[in-house]
Amino acid sequence: MWAERLAEHLKDRTAQLEESREGGKKIIGYFPGDYVPEELIVAAGAVPLCLISAGDASSLEASLTAIPNLFCPFARAQVGEKLLKRDPYYRLVDMLVAPITCQHLKKTAEIWEYHGDVEVFKLGVPHQHGHDFELEYYTDRLKVLRERLEAFTGKKITDEAISEAIELYNRLRRLLRQISELRRAPSPPVSTLDFVKLNHASFCADPAFMVEILEEAFNDFSQRPAQPAAGVPRLLLIGPCIGQGDYRTLELINDTGGEVVIEEVCEGIRYYWHEISRNGDPLTALAAGYLKDRVPPAFLRYSTRARLDFAMKLIKEFDVSGVIWYELLGCETYDSESYYFDRELGTRNIPMLILESDYGTTGVGQVGTRLEAFIEMVRGGPEL
Amino acid sequence: MIELLEMCGYETAEAEADLPRIKRAFDKLGITDGDIERGQQRLAKYYDIELKGVRKIFRLCLRELVNSVLAREDGKRKVIFGFMAPLFDVVGAAAMAGSPEVLAAHQCWAYLTVVSGIFGKNVPVLEAAERCWLKAGTVAHCANVKTLVGLMVQGRLPRPDLLVSTGYSCETAPKTLDLLHELYGIPVFCFDTCVDRAPREYDAESQRMLEMAALGMRTFTAKVGEVVGFEITDDTLRAVLAAKNEVNEVMDRLRDIRENSDPLVLSATHDSLLMALNSLTLTLGELPEAADALNTLCAEIQARVDSGVGVVAKGAPRVLTILPAHHADPRLEHLVGELGISLAASDFWFMVPYQGDKSDPYVEMSQHLQGSMASCLSRRIPLIIEGCRRLKIDGLLNTYHVGCRTVAGDAVMIGKEVGRELGIPVLSLEWENFDSRVYNQEQYQRRLEVFKSMMDSRR
Repeated sequence: MWAERLAEHLKDRTAQLEESREGGKKIIGYFPGDYVPEELIVAAGAVPLCLISAGDASSLEASLTAIPNLFCPFARAQVGEKLLKRDPYYRLVDMLVAPITCQHLKKTAEIWEYHGDVEVFKLGVPHQHGHDFELEYYTDRLKVLRERLEAFTGKKITDEAISEAIELYNRLRRLLRQISELRRAPSPPVSTLDFVKLNHASFCADPAFMVEILEEAFNDFSQRPAQPAAGVPRLLLIGPCIGQGDYRTLELINDTGGEVVIEEVCEGIRYYWHEISRNGDPLTALAAGYLKDRVPPAFLRYSTRARLDFAMKLIKEFDVSGVIWYELLGCETYDSESYYFDRELGTRNIPMLILESDYGTTGVGQVGTRLEAFIEMVRGGPEL
Repeated sequence: MIELLEMCGYETAEAEADLPRIKRAFDKLGITDGDIERGQQRLAKYYDIELKGVRKIFRLCLRELVNSVLAREDGKRKVIFGFMAPLFDVVGAAAMAGSPEVLAAHQCWAYLTVVSGIFGKNVPVLEAAERCWLKAGTVAHCANVKTLVGLMVQGRLPRPDLLVSTGYSCETAPKTLDLLHELYGIPVFCFDTCVDRAPREYDAESQRMLEMAALGMRTFTAKVGEVVGFEITDDTLRAVLAAKNEVNEVMDRLRDIRENSDPLVLSATHDSLLMALNSLTLTLGELPEAADALNTLCAEIQARVDSGVGVVAKGAPRVLTILPAHHADPRLEHLVGELGISLAASDFWFMVPYQGDKSDPYVEMSQHLQGSMASCLSRRIPLIIEGCRRLKIDGLLNTYHVGCRTVAGDAVMIGKEVGRELGIPVLSLEWENFDSRVYNQEQYQRRLEVFKSMMDSRR
């Protein structure tokens, strides 16, 4: 069974990576948000490793010696893990590629950089892309990243290798999307918690192995007999990020009788919803694919309306009757946007609940009560 | 009112002539007769109003505020506001040079200086913003952005034809503009760069980043040209930059006198005034007035140096503050002075020298990105340490503006590294640079007294 094989792979993964490292392979860590093309790392013969561990209060505590608690818990978790040096994945990283997206991750990258024990490449991400020079800037930064990876790994990155990696990751993304879309069914064959964990696994597993697993998983889920709708409120979860380990809110939603059937988070739908073009120069394709052709994150300029439109599309396609706004405490863009979404969704009779998370260090019971009340209210559905 | 205007540098005849306009503007801003009296008291208490240069700067701030509030009544056909958009004032001045029907102003510097600094009356505006999307609490949205939103939703400023911001070091401002557009239909525009420099090869990295900033600024100028209906040429920008550089030269001289004075000749409450002046959108005709105000102030504080007069005792411990003085409340800086601490300088003005070509006016305009606040942590910390050594600093007042992730994010590491490297006392204060509600006299006084005794004991 695919689930056991994946569990076995993940259990041995750090040992495998250590062995690869001893054999001369470089481990390239990167922050999520879908601006760092894993394709370039794979094409350099290195191992991409998404640093997405979060949800644990102890890393937040540790981070306070370097960064104030005004920062979102996800960013602080990346600082905390760096300082604690307890997570084997974080210890394995030879080089960090940090996309300069929001101020939170920017500052996190600077703190990693200041510590100086790991090479850091800050990948500039234009916060808008309506002009040619913005795409050119990002393309140029990817070129520099390519050169840096070549120098770091000692391996020339050929266009062919990038194209092959694009093909591999397109398959991976396509499978994730196919599995995700199974949740359109009245009674989804895969829970969102399981799907999110599968997605997280893809960030640290060997990508070729992961493709095999996802194929099996998709076949498995597809073949499960269709179930009638369970009468459980179907929810869309919108938020900046669900970290690996940050599962409490999804569990609470299930416990209180709701079901998230689709989530719009940076490391999720932004990652797998679109594929990279295989036409033309592969680096140009990567730049366009990663910068432009995706769901805009909240920090992007002029993104609010487009994000609402995309949410409405998901609400219709996944037959959603309520929205959980899962905000990380201190995230100013999501906090601002929540006002707009609440108002706009309200005019469409779609209820929305705003939950702020600092990874469970406050009020789990209170959140549960609010969720219960919300789910009770949602039963009945929207008038679209 | 006339007395207040005279304290703000107006000649009596000018004050009488402008009084009706100023009253109308104050009415729109909710400034009452009671506020006028309180304003006079605050001016006398917190600022060196006896210095003519200080009064002249207040006059320029007040005039820009009144012009902004009454822009439509004054018949301005195109109103363009900038917000958290460094060097908006240059492009704005160039736009105003092309037509008397254009009003450009960089919010909310003049407003904060007058309504909050003088009258202490910004809280209702902040509360209006907090009832919208910039809610109070742990998210800690920037009160500067709240001020803009409050002014817009309350209609205290006219609805602009274009509202401009950047995201150089802020996500809240661009997102707020996006919401102002979506919810109120205000035309908005953002220009950006990528602040992604590595400390290694900093010069080359800076050149790349500034060139990107220049490209972004060109889109902004083109947009302004589209709105006002004429092209903003590089020649006009160069003319404004030349006039602005004259102001900057005097500003540098003034800062040099102040930072090296003992006793300190000008209290730190004036830092925000100088920063406001630096950000006002002055026309080509007004820029020489700014230079004149600063020249006057330079001469006045030089006279204090020459006669050994200061605002704190000679030999008082010298402190570097992180970030400029509070933009909306002079009380903390005033308290620091009262406790006998010389708040000599701010890292805000520290710059990494730029080695690249500045012949492009847009690259020249982007030089603010060489400043301490825009620098990456690995470059900023050495810059601060070097500044402490150069200015013979005895302690670091590490105020960090909670509403700004860019500056707040550095605070812990700055405090730790400066303390470790220089062995000087560091007082870290969580702070909101635009919100007077954070002020807590008892708490600050106690902490500052301990801070001072630590500095004294090291001498």
